Amino acid sequence: MSDQAVDASVIHDLGYRRYDGARDGAAGARRALFWQGFRAMFGIGRPAKAKAIPVFVVVVSMLPALATLAAAGASGGQIPVLYGQIIEPQIVLFILFMAAQGPELLSRDQQHRVLPLMFTRDVTRLQYAVTRLLSVWCAMLCVAFAPLLLLWIGEIGIAKDPATAFTTVAPKFAPVLLLGTVLAWLIGGVGAALASFSSRRAYATAAVIGSFLVAAAVGSGLRDIAGLPYFTSALIDPMDGVRTLARLLFNEKTRAMDTETPPSLLILVAVQALWGSLGAAGLIWRVRRVNV
Amino acid sequence: MTASLIVAQGLTRRYGAVTALDALTVTVQPGITGLVGANGAGKSTFVKILLGLVDPSEGHAEVMGNDVRTEREAICALVGYMPEHDCLPPEMSATEFVTFMARLSGLPASAARERAAEVLRHVGLFEERYRPMGGYSTGMAQRVKLAQALVHDPRLLILDEPTNGLDPAGRDDMLALISRTGREFGISVLVSSHLLGELERICDGIVMIESGRLIRADFIGALTSETATLVIEVDGDHDAFAAALVARGLLVRPERQRVLVELPEGEVAAAQVYDVVRDLAVALDAGLLRLERRRGHLEALFT
Repeated sequence: MSDQAVDASVIHDLGYRRYDGARDGAAGARRALFWQGFRAMFGIGRPAKAKAIPVFVVVVSMLPALATLAAAGASGGQIPVLYGQIIEPQIVLFILFMAAQGPELLSRDQQHRVLPLMFTRDVTRLQYAVTRLLSVWCAMLCVAFAPLLLLWIGEIGIAKDPATAFTTVAPKFAPVLLLGTVLAWLIGGVGAALASFSSRRAYATAAVIGSFLVAAAVGSGLRDIAGLPYFTSALIDPMDGVRTLARLLFNEKTRAMDTETPPSLLILVAVQALWGSLGAAGLIWRVRRVNV
Repeated sequence: MTASLIVAQGLTRRYGAVTALDALTVTVQPGITGLVGANGAGKSTFVKILLGLVDPSEGHAEVMGNDVRTEREAICALVGYMPEHDCLPPEMSATEFVTFMARLSGLPASAARERAAEVLRHVGLFEERYRPMGGYSTGMAQRVKLAQALVHDPRLLILDEPTNGLDPAGRDDMLALISRTGREFGISVLVSSHLLGELERICDGIVMIESGRLIRADFIGALTSETATLVIEVDGDHDAFAAALVARGLLVRPERQRVLVELPEGEVAAAQVYDVVRDLAVALDAGLLRLERRRGHLEALFT
């Protein structure tokens, strides 16, 4: 298409120059890799197709929060703002976000075989794994925090007297922070590990969604069929675990909680953190031995 | 620069039962060096060990005085690598990709953009560099791969089969580009290929491996030096000319359209053969079109 442009006589006249300017070394390389990964999680710098799911998830996960705030505002505070109840159904959306966007980072580099180019630059395998994890976690934090923060700010904002509302709502900030962090750590860690095991995007996406579904099936199956205590599934199924955690954190008891004692907050957080950490370790293990 | 570029000692790499490299000991001097071998001879394994992508099972290797196992970081700053396989994300543009690669080598953002534009121009990619690379021809893709290897201004370029999949014109362009980069900018080049002919054209030295073992490593001049065979072409009847040479007691091998004469040992004796040929041409009234010693071909070393 541009035969005259690739004419050998033209190529070289413009010349090659040596570079003896500044080099930021490994720190600069890690920064560049982090931001490239963080942007890719939201489809920034990618074709429009890659932005579809991030935009969908961010918008849809905020809608119930907005609706609740609107209802609470219109009723003059008669309708309570229930954080746990609103965030529960969003957990599936967060998993969808991770399943769609995690492979953008971790499978694509393998699929297009960019890894050997990175590993022969200022990025070691360990640095690559850790930096990718950080990108995933930060993106997940933003997505999981958005509806929770919206609720928290909104609840203060819609009150007739924001100053007094602040004193009652402010203590909820710690649970908001904890829940968002647990969600990001769990879904990000597990999702990133599963995504890194396949160089094919579709398989990686299916693996992320599939394993959360299987865990849910095993959790409720053991409870219902094997007749184990009700809250067994909260320890096996991460989705149920996070749901129970959210209810406990915001003190919104379900009927099951009246008849049976749920696991303590500490145990629930520890179990989810363990899943997330196992994911992180799995990712590092995988990246260290992947063939390039 | 008198230090050796690459030193390998007893380098061995096994993949399970398969031995890809078998106690390879070789020294490569600065300049353009060809790494030759059939497919599966161990070229890529050797290259990957030098880059630190694969650990050697035994032995050790140094690149510009840095051990491949313990001094990887130093090597990464000194070496640019162009892999054999595709490595270009199709939805990225060449500018974005090469800039990103420059940043991964530690160049600051603005310097990375500048360098990317410069090396893409150097390899001959102009307006196309803003388009997604998925639509590139093989020739353009190979140029981008070379550009990303050059972007951080390495001292050594390691090119794995850079002419793979190119048409003859593209092949010539790529070889000219490599040769120019190596000669005019003081960047040493290690270029692997299974095609001897093209390496013969651009390389100073050749390293030949087969089944993971070194066959020969030498300067190209030594490999293609003059042989003891005289090639004669005459304007006339070759058979009659050959018969007349035999009659004068020379070892003659007729070939299609030319006559080959084995020269005896020693300068004086060899010079006498030249005289015999000249006198015979005069006697037979045949025009001498060619009279020279045959040069060795790299292909001959493989047989």
